[in-house]
Amino acid sequence: MAGPTGRVLVLGGGIGGMQAALDLAEAGFYVYLAEHGPAIGGTMARLDKTFPTNDCAMCIMSPKLVEAGRHLNIEVITDADLISLAGEAGRYTAYLSRRPRYVRMDKCTGCGDCAEACPVVQPSAFDAGLGKRKAIYKLYPQATPNAFGIEKRGMPPCRATCPAGCNGQAYAALIAQGKFQEALDVVRRRVPFASICGRICHHPCETECNRGQYEGPVALAALKRAAADFGWPGTGRADPEASGPQEGLQPVAVIGAGPGGLTAAMDLAALGHPVTVFDASGQPGGMLRQAVPRYRLPLDMLDRELDWMLSKERLSFRGGVKVGRDVSLAALRAEGFAAFVAATGFPVARGLPLPGADLGRVYLGLDFLRQVNAGDPPAVEGPVVVIGGGNVAVDCARTARRLGAQAVTVACLESRDMMPAHSWEIDEALEEGVAIAAGWGPKAITAGGGNAPAAVECIGCVSVFDAAGRFSPVYDETKRQSLPVATVILAIGQGGDNAFLAEEGVQVTRAGGVVADPRTGATAAPGIFACGDAVSGPASAVEAIAGGHRVAETVHRYLLGLDLEAEAAGEPERARPPAGPVPARRRHPVPLSPAAKHARDFSEVSLGYDRETAQAEAARCLQCGVCSECLECVHACQREAVNHADCAQDLALEVGAVILAPGAESVPVARGEYGYGYYPNVLTSQEFERVLSASGPFAGNVERPSDGKEPRKIAFLQCVGSRDVGCGQPYCSAVCCMYATKEAIIAQEHIPGLQTAIFFMDMRAYGKEFDRYYEAASAEHGVRYHRCMVSGVRQDPLTKDLDLTYVDDGGRHTEETFDMVVLSTGLRPAAPARLTAGRLGLDIDPHGFLSGGGLEPWRTQRPGIYAAGTVTDPKDIPETVVEASAAACAASRLLASARGTQVKTKEYPPERDVSAEDPRVGVFICRCGRNIANVVDVAGLVANARGLPGVAYVEENLYTCSQDTQGRIREKIEEHSLNRVVVASCTPRTHEPLFRDTLREAGLNPYLFEMANIRDQCSWVHMHEPERATVKARSLVAMAVAKARLLYPIPSRSFPINQSGLVIGGGLAGMTAALALAEQGYAAHLVEREPDLGGHLRHIHTALSDREDPQALLQELRERVRSHPLISLHLSYQVRAQEGYLGNYRTTLAPTGPGEERVVEHGAVIVATGAAEASAPGFGQGADPRIITQTQLEEDLGGPGEARAGVYVLIQCAGSRSEQRPYCSRICCTQAVKNAVALLKRAPGARVFILYRDLRTYGLKEGLYEEARRLGVTFVRYDAAEPPEVKAGKVLTVEVEDTALGARLVLEADHVVLATGIEPKDNNTLAKILKVPLTVDGFFLEAHLKLRPVEFAAEGIYLCGLAHSPRFIAETIAQANAAAIRAVTLLSQPQLAAKGITVSVNERTCTGCGICLEACAYAARELDEETGVAKIREILCQGCGACAVACPSGATQQKGFEQGQVLAMVEAALD
Amino acid sequence: MKYLYYPGCSLHATAKEYDLSTRAVCAGLGLALEEVPDWNCCGASSAHATNHLLSLALPARVLGLAAGSGLDVVAPCAACYNRLRAAGRALCDPAEAPGIAEAAGLPRPTEAAGVRVLSVLELLVAQRDRWLARVRRPLGLKVAAYYGCLLVRPPGLLGFDAAEHPRSLDRLLEDLGATPVDWPGRIDCCGGGLSIARPDLVRELCGRLLGWAARAGAEVIATACPLCGLNLEMRRPPRAPALPVLYLTELVGLALDLPGAKGWGRYHLVSPAGVTRRAGGGA
Repeated sequence: MAGPTGRVLVLGGGIGGMQAALDLAEAGFYVYLAEHGPAIGGTMARLDKTFPTNDCAMCIMSPKLVEAGRHLNIEVITDADLISLAGEAGRYTAYLSRRPRYVRMDKCTGCGDCAEACPVVQPSAFDAGLGKRKAIYKLYPQATPNAFGIEKRGMPPCRATCPAGCNGQAYAALIAQGKFQEALDVVRRRVPFASICGRICHHPCETECNRGQYEGPVALAALKRAAADFGWPGTGRADPEASGPQEGLQPVAVIGAGPGGLTAAMDLAALGHPVTVFDASGQPGGMLRQAVPRYRLPLDMLDRELDWMLSKERLSFRGGVKVGRDVSLAALRAEGFAAFVAATGFPVARGLPLPGADLGRVYLGLDFLRQVNAGDPPAVEGPVVVIGGGNVAVDCARTARRLGAQAVTVACLESRDMMPAHSWEIDEALEEGVAIAAGWGPKAITAGGGNAPAAVECIGCVSVFDAAGRFSPVYDETKRQSLPVATVILAIGQGGDNAFLAEEGVQVTRAGGVVADPRTGATAAPGIFACGDAVSGPASAVEAIAGGHRVAETVHRYLLGLDLEAEAAGEPERARPPAGPVPARRRHPVPLSPAAKHARDFSEVSLGYDRETAQAEAARCLQCGVCSECLECVHACQREAVNHADCAQDLALEVGAVILAPGAESVPVARGEYGYGYYPNVLTSQEFERVLSASGPFAGNVERPSDGKEPRKIAFLQCVGSRDVGCGQPYCSAVCCMYATKEAIIAQEHIPGLQTAIFFMDMRAYGKEFDRYYEAASAEHGVRYHRCMVSGVRQDPLTKDLDLTYVDDGGRHTEETFDMVVLSTGLRPAAPARLTAGRLGLDIDPHGFLSGGGLEPWRTQRPGIYAAGTVTDPKDIPETVVEASAAACAASRLLASARGTQVKTKEYPPERDVSAEDPRVGVFICRCGRNIANVVDVAGLVANARGLPGVAYVEENLYTCSQDTQGRIREKIEEHSLNRVVVASCTPRTHEPLFRDTLREAGLNPYLFEMANIRDQCSWVHMHEPERATVKARSLVAMAVAKARLLYPIPSRSFPINQSGLVIGGGLAGMTAALALAEQGYAAHLVEREPDLGGHLRHIHTALSDREDPQALLQELRERVRSHPLISLHLSYQVRAQEGYLGNYRTTLAPTGPGEERVVEHGAVIVATGAAEASAPGFGQGADPRIITQTQLEEDLGGPGEARAGVYVLIQCAGSRSEQRPYCSRICCTQAVKNAVALLKRAPGARVFILYRDLRTYGLKEGLYEEARRLGVTFVRYDAAEPPEVKAGKVLTVEVEDTALGARLVLEADHVVLATGIEPKDNNTLAKILKVPLTVDGFFLEAHLKLRPVEFAAEGIYLCGLAHSPRFIAETIAQANAAAIRAVTLLSQPQLAAKGITVSVNERTCTGCGICLEACAYAARELDEETGVAKIREILCQGCGACAVACPSGATQQKGFEQGQVLAMVEAALD
Repeated sequence: MKYLYYPGCSLHATAKEYDLSTRAVCAGLGLALEEVPDWNCCGASSAHATNHLLSLALPARVLGLAAGSGLDVVAPCAACYNRLRAAGRALCDPAEAPGIAEAAGLPRPTEAAGVRVLSVLELLVAQRDRWLARVRRPLGLKVAAYYGCLLVRPPGLLGFDAAEHPRSLDRLLEDLGATPVDWPGRIDCCGGGLSIARPDLVRELCGRLLGWAARAGAEVIATACPLCGLNLEMRRPPRAPALPVLYLTELVGLALDLPGAKGWGRYHLVSPAGVTRRAGGGA
């Protein structure tokens, strides 16, 4: 079999996924980092600050974002999910599906012009729904990749229902923003008759509108009219969807200038075919002009719209020509027409074979309307009876009213409900005084005097259609009535006029219609097509328009010689209304003309909305599809990056291993719990986190949602969705106690004088430095802590303040009013996590967490698949980071033989020597789309820059960062022999590495680059002062140029590396770390002070689960360590001295007993020296054999003897969390509970009391606590001020003040077990040798509590196990593996490159005062005792500049920021 | 449509107006009510507090009497409603059912368990179509909808509305043309059965409720429980706002302009004359 693949797939781009990806990429593997969402960053990106250091989450994370986003060997794949996995560990094929993003990431520069143009405003999920975003959006400002994406949720029902596919949501969205012209553009894409359809369309879109489920549909028809009324004549921009003129263009004749014919003509002309529209009438419009009454469609509106259509290029109109009569098809063919579209309509009015139908003043409906519209109304005398129940009949009746008839009756066969006319037309007719005689069939018209009709004789009609739906009226002869009349209008049907087509071989129906394929419009005769009423019979205008589009498509295909029918696209998914509550908004009635009530004239009945009402009505749209496809983004994007036709993509990735890091989500709060969802001032903790965040929806101003006021008093309620069996979340979420404390502290920093109170059950401050943070919160910040659950939250209806009911610490029922309540919601695995676990067939526990890893939780049941972070149990950031590194280490061990085989390296041209050249500065000034150019006068900036000294070339770019501009910069460097480059654009924070790389690719040293920040610090912050912003930008550019002239190349230096590690300490952590190094192929020296391996693990007998056996683990580790050829053991040795630095250390080992010193050489150090069990003075420890420690109990339980029954009193915090040892030892609560459970299982008669202060069984360990309670362990909480008293007389007693009972208990014990906690060993000596810091408590202090938990600030030295802080076996193993992979990221480098920006020392001016040594956090400065000069260990220097600032003589200078350079900038600024 | 009617003791005594208005509203809507024959006390107060078996056997007997008729039981009193539902559930529990059946003398306990019991609120919500179009005099009053403890809780037993934030009565009032106020007392306790034993406590609770309702701008409190109605009228502390308390059926009667609706007011200890006069002003 072939060896493993050197690529790894990491699923999930949160902090865990990023850490794993970076570790692996740095350790010689190619990494696919696949993220479900549109950007990496995960939960941490949404946090404001982090505990316990109060660092800004985004500030500490964004370097990782940038690094992961730019790493040559990390490929970020967003919007992707794992579908399946084939193969086996080492050689997997991962199948991923990537959802369409609709934005080309290679083109998008993240400028945001698209979002500016987007009319769809959505609640931002990133801001927990408190902020707003657009349908096209970037997840958050610092998002990586820095690209926008579009959210689509299917096709909105309005658009799906419209026969012509008119995009209702889109024009509504644009109108809501007041963009009427753009809205008109959108309407016209599918309905060229915007004004007309806005007035007469029967709007099936409104029937389906999702808003209709609430307070009635959005008035889409009236909005369409508003778009035309206020947006005329549209923007005139090119339609981005139109394909434009193409090949194979030939003349087309369209017969009939009604809506169908004109639509077809417009489409064909747009495609490039010359189109001539013929019409028998002299004017275009068809029935719109001839039959639709003017009070519905005013003539000027009609003319305006038709003129606009006929003015289109390639479109001509020949009126007054009846094809077939005035000109034959043959003649037209001879003229060159290659195809014909019969859009001849159904223009022939039909009568009834009724006695008396030939009398005078008996008219045919359609003809009657035609005459009226032609300005030649026939004589009408009342009473009038209109026979027929359709829209034509109603139009006739209303027209007759307007012609002066007083009594007008519509008589129809159908019942009132079944009339084919639209109900609103009937309602308006009734309003105008028209009467309806429903259910009557005419039998005869009787004559009065002369030729005039006198009455219509009717009989009752029982039913109109038979069972098969055919027209077959059944009458009731017994029901009769005679309607007196003076005028009769027969409006009962129409016919077609297509006899001329029959001669061409087209099939024509009896009614005169054309037989054509309803999908394509093709007839039996080649080259002849048909659409509209001619095919369908009388139908609505929008249906005719739809037919016009279809036939145009067919004709186009016909002329191009393609299959007539395009491949059918699948039915688009219909968008459902948004989930969650929808705020009520009533429909705005469309104002009607008051005159219409009297029906006196032909002025328009409907007045339409005014602008404001139209905008308000449009805002009722629920935006079902999210993106409305209005295409404003396409217009706005100057990079042509938007692609609405994007579709899902399947990926198959060859990888050796997979790491799952999909993260967690907040447990949703049940609507109503503590008033959430009802009371506006009750927020969840993530919502509050966004409220606090400076980049959040309120820009960091803490305000109440109800009134925007600053709160004066905030309550935090813990354990909402945690430790709650009732809501199915019995476990502890591990982070809430601390984040609530943090949120309280930070909120107080925001609002001076703010009062905060935290209501909790147990304060679980179990992590490193947590207890100190918690103590400070109450002692220094005044956060109040109440150990109780709140029983009720009531809202004051007037102030929206919240009244909390609780029992206070003294047991008193209390009510207290707060301005705001924050619910500390728990964590559960994110939805994609469950899905992925299912697809991979991995076991999950009942709560959804991945289970099965045992003492190595990052292992799953399947080899080669690892997990990290909150997918295995709830945990906070450092634990996630550690576990991610541990998972990366596991992958690196598995794939060690493939290390370095799949990585990419970049080849650069040799650097040009510019030392002899005069400065020739090239300046590239970015417009950033509109971001800079809309505020700053970029052209002026360019002109100004040309005049600056040293400048050889200046240009402006639309986007300086785009790929093509990078090519341009390289060209210009060569063309103009540039030797310095200045870019004036966004910010060096994200873009400086890119431009430096471009210089390097062009053969220039990357440090010959300078950047002017004219966006983030200029056009954005001064957007309302364009002139002053321009002045500032000019200065910024001048400063950058002034500095650039003084830049010189900084050579990159590299150092060799000794590829082995030294592990100090042979306990669990040390053995694990040494093995991890060795199994990745790197030699390890393992130093242990004692003669035997094992450390504290030798005393641990039970693990948290029965499945694991610590002693078996110990045996196995010992054997593997002893037998591994790459591990050199140094038992009974300790570190005595060390010299050298990162990559090259020489360490002297001294024997603890007799023996000789040894010197070992290595490239990295892992500190794993462990800690010790503490003693507990004051609790009688050692005074009585019945008083033992947890460790002794554990050993008893692990021994062979019978466990003894009797009374056990377990005392927690016996020495921990005291003045002497103010920290929490983390493991004791769980250990006590674990031992209690084990004891009761072995000796069911035993009685166990656990005396505790806070029970800190965090995370899933809460399950053990629950089990202990079930087994009958009695838990007694005591207060720190009154610790239990142990009295060892003849009878052993423990006295304790029970805070729950408020009474003193005296317990007679057989055994007292003390949880004495863990204390650090004397780490001072080693810390001094290694030059690394310790915490106040004496543990080693890592580089950063959150993000660099297993390494020291001094590079090359790593840390794990109890030497770091108290922790469990699994946590120690994780840290050891994490430390090992971190070491391997160093050891696997072929050589080490020093940072370019370091400091330099002028040895002549250095006085050797040593101030710089103290300033340096990285141990990069050292004093040369002989010369008296403070030297630089360049490999350790991070270029922070702290020593340069501290240097009193100016001997230390930071490269790239030297005094001369900075002064030149200052001078340029003052010029 | 026909229902069996279980008035319980209070509708024959302290909540006479609740009885009258319920009967009048049902009659007006064409819903026939027939009293459960030979009904007995539901055991809500004394039995419930003292004897578990008795507290279930008493209402179980009522269910037994209703079984076989095929009709649903309407129980206007929230406490009766709650006890009858509890008995129905207990009769489905194999551990409890035999004992209860024996004590209540039920030959066919499963049949009794199958009897559906409705509160008047549930009934009116279900029959909304019957009365909505008949609202002749939209109330035009600001009303505090008071559900109390027993109408919507415990959720597992009743569950026709949200237990902590019920809205059905508010929506009903809105349909009647009233404006339901946002007030914090919706599901708070009035003191219930402690009215005799601890009047001091009941007075305190009622005072809070009345204060909250008045502060929210309510002109009247709408209740569906005779005990709440009685406590709020009888046990109001001296300085509490003099808000009248009406049963929801009385408000339906006023809105539908049923004959005699204004006459029910004389049974109240706090005269609702002011609001009944104003009612109908929402037209």
